[in-house]
Amino acid sequence: MNARLPVSEGIRVAAVDDIPEGEGIVIVRSITGTDDDVALLRDDDGSVWALDNTCTHAEASLAEGWVEGGQVECPLHSSKFCLKTGAVDGLPATKDARPHRVEVRDGQVFLYPGERP
Amino acid sequence: MTDRIAVVGGGVGGVSVVAALRAGGFVGDVILIDEGEFPYDRPPLSKAYLAGDVDLKSIALQPPEWFDDHRVQLMAHSSVGALRPGLGVVELADGRSVRADKVVLATGGHALRPPIRGSARAGVHALRRAHDADRLRTALVPGSRLLIVGAGLVGAEVASTALYLGCQVTIVDPVVAPLAAVVGDEIASWLHGMHTAHGATVLRGVVESFQDSPDGITAVLSGAEPRVFDAVVLAVGMAPATALARDAGLTVDGGIVVDPMQVTSNPAVLAVGDVARPCAGGVLLHRSEHWEAAQHDAQRAAATILGVAPPAAGASWFWTDRYGTHVEVAGNLAGADEFASRGHRGEQPYACFGLRGGRVVGAVAVNDSASVRAARRMIDRGITVSAAELGDPSVDLRRLIKR
Repeated sequence: MNARLPVSEGIRVAAVDDIPEGEGIVIVRSITGTDDDVALLRDDDGSVWALDNTCTHAEASLAEGWVEGGQVECPLHSSKFCLKTGAVDGLPATKDARPHRVEVRDGQVFLYPGERP
Repeated sequence: MTDRIAVVGGGVGGVSVVAALRAGGFVGDVILIDEGEFPYDRPPLSKAYLAGDVDLKSIALQPPEWFDDHRVQLMAHSSVGALRPGLGVVELADGRSVRADKVVLATGGHALRPPIRGSARAGVHALRRAHDADRLRTALVPGSRLLIVGAGLVGAEVASTALYLGCQVTIVDPVVAPLAAVVGDEIASWLHGMHTAHGATVLRGVVESFQDSPDGITAVLSGAEPRVFDAVVLAVGMAPATALARDAGLTVDGGIVVDPMQVTSNPAVLAVGDVARPCAGGVLLHRSEHWEAAQHDAQRAAATILGVAPPAAGASWFWTDRYGTHVEVAGNLAGADEFASRGHRGEQPYACFGLRGGRVVGAVAVNDSASVRAARRMIDRGITVSAAELGDPSVDLRRLIKR
């Protein structure tokens, strides 16, 4: 699971079933090679998305946020971020979160760090 | 036709008005008049900003370029002297005037100064704006003796920050368990007890007077020996800044009275946030003094100006931080006739839900983000649940909402 594949292939980071709908899990930066850890977030329609894990406002893990209707709500001060684009919707955060592309193949989640969804 | 809006006050309410106007497609001129250098967020003033862990720029409500990007004319370092709604003009204190078809007042309030003899002296602080926090911070040196008058949200957060900075902290409040009306007696007692557990001295009583003494300020307290402090913080609440409204002839009654659309007694003037006192069906309601409520007011005010339906009202929510603990409250526990605890008080995460007639009406959560977010959705969507389900940690709250 930790094996680093060439980036074009994506990195297999989790099974879809590892992420309950409406929740998220953290993929640490040592696996993703990104500056921040990555939050894998599963929307309530079952789709999987990835954003930088640290809220752009304060030290909070978006993977612990509430995921619903295409957005993740920060667990600390409730700023909301678009799962697809990372666009912030609502104070106190003012900066967008960085999105990463994911693909689901055969029930496995592949992350493409730094690629836009 | 409304093509020019002036918003007075650059707190979260005022900034949210201009943001909501632009988000809603308003194409006219938007002017934001603020006394400070730039609009900043106030919750950190008793926490990380007071501690000196973050600077003013890092608590800006919007980055500097945001105002230009959204064609908002920010008039910083400016205060309003008078409203002339009949003339469509806002007069600034320095003599300039700003033309506006509609004005939104987001003037917030002032820290309340209780009528305690001697409280005008230099070492007696209050906390409302960044420069108040800057001034207070210079007094919070390790070992300094600090008295905090009032153990509500601001007093409790200042106590936590001052202990973090190494001060000797004493808190005095006449109430056994502040916040009991909001979170119930038991949780309020536990929260209040955190002060003692973290090394503060908690006194029950009131301050009768402050007097100069050779080594500081002597506080004469009811039912206790006088004590000497290096500094004092008055944290006994706020008074809404209604002077402009009153001078302009608007209806003011413990706040600027607004209808459910945020419109004051003058149809050209709206008010939002701490300063606004809602009135619905002829009944005056309490002002909200919370951060998110100010944003909701702002969104309603913008909808009124734009002539569109206001966003749906939801359960209220606020947070407070003390001693590394994040406390959140949603809805209103006071109306509950049944309670359900999730986890054990004193351990974390912990949440307490209040129900009425099989529906959640409020919740308080301690380091339990998911429970309070679930509670808000249960309240807003009128979900029927049982106390047994809520109190069972093996039950997934998300599933209760979806079933």
